[in-house]
Amino acid sequence: MSESEVTVPLPVRLRFGHAAVQQVANTAGLDVLHIKGVAVDPELRPTGYAGSDVDVLVRPAHVAAIDRALRAGGWTLYSTFEHGSPFGHAQTYLHESWGYLDIHRYFPGIRLEPERAFELLWEDLHRIELAGTSCRVPSPAAQAVILVLNAARSAKGDRADVLTVWSDADDERREEITELVGRLHAEVAFAAAAGGLERFRDDREYPLWKVVSEGGSRAAEWWARIRAAPSARDRLRLVARAPRVNVEHLAHRLGRTPSRWDIAVEFLRRPLSGVGEGVRSLYRRFGPRRVVR
Amino acid sequence: MAGYRLADAAGVVEHEDVVYVATLPGGPIAVLSGVAGLILLEACDGPATTLVERVAELTAVDPEEIRAHVEGFVGDLVERGLLVREVS
Repeated sequence: MSESEVTVPLPVRLRFGHAAVQQVANTAGLDVLHIKGVAVDPELRPTGYAGSDVDVLVRPAHVAAIDRALRAGGWTLYSTFEHGSPFGHAQTYLHESWGYLDIHRYFPGIRLEPERAFELLWEDLHRIELAGTSCRVPSPAAQAVILVLNAARSAKGDRADVLTVWSDADDERREEITELVGRLHAEVAFAAAAGGLERFRDDREYPLWKVVSEGGSRAAEWWARIRAAPSARDRLRLVARAPRVNVEHLAHRLGRTPSRWDIAVEFLRRPLSGVGEGVRSLYRRFGPRRVVR
Repeated sequence: MAGYRLADAAGVVEHEDVVYVATLPGGPIAVLSGVAGLILLEACDGPATTLVERVAELTAVDPEEIRAHVEGFVGDLVERGLLVREVS
């Protein structure tokens, strides 16, 4: 019998990872829904793409408890909600046997209050077996919504997913999806991937999903993110956060704990790189026209 | 007749003719390729008393040649908490 993580194929490791998280949740009495990757209904992912990590959506009221349970079970925190993603929606853990795990406290693009959104998905949960453990997953229609919203955050857009779960879906499934998108208040982000984003030109989130789905400079993304914030308080928090150095990302990039000097250098580097992006962005918008004129 | 079953804390995945088994939720993953995977699956699929004979028949060898290996291997799986001997 050999025990080597090197010889374990990723889809196998991910199945065990989902099962392990479910067992942790079961023991602690916590609600999680397995999303994306190997947890997706094969009908929605005919190619069987497994992804690269384990993703679960956690009932928001259970986030602190699952964090404690995971750390006690051998997972180490890799990046936090605050610094892990610009949306602040997911926190990443690493386990020596199962690899990376992302716990989501909400899903970007869903504007319904997170606890109510989770409850809506939980009401219609399905079960699948992964590595012999019964795992809870959203309904196929809800999985389709999540895949399309996920594609909206990719500048390249995971078009294969959008084609399979939306463009090629039959009328009944499209009706289910449309109804759910409405109940989740996710119309703008959904349109960013599925088409029709221009219908939402007057929405405060329009610039954010435009830049996220089509690509743009980091500065443009930050401005769009600030504009999309639901309240003045949220906008101020984002403004205060924008110029900070993301120490977690810097540590992962350097492969060690950054020194004060590293952080200072990074802080000085960022505004310059932002200016560079701004200049390139302006050139893209106006430069060629000036040349032509 | 009493046999074996996977332990409650064990998970198993079959992938491209290899059996992977792990204790959950802590790990690690054990890779059971070839006859090792066959023995695990066969152990959970019939009486313990005839396991060696069933494996010998499937692999076309003399049971006495493999008895010590099969019994030792299954004992190891039990010791690691992956298999449980059922009580008749």
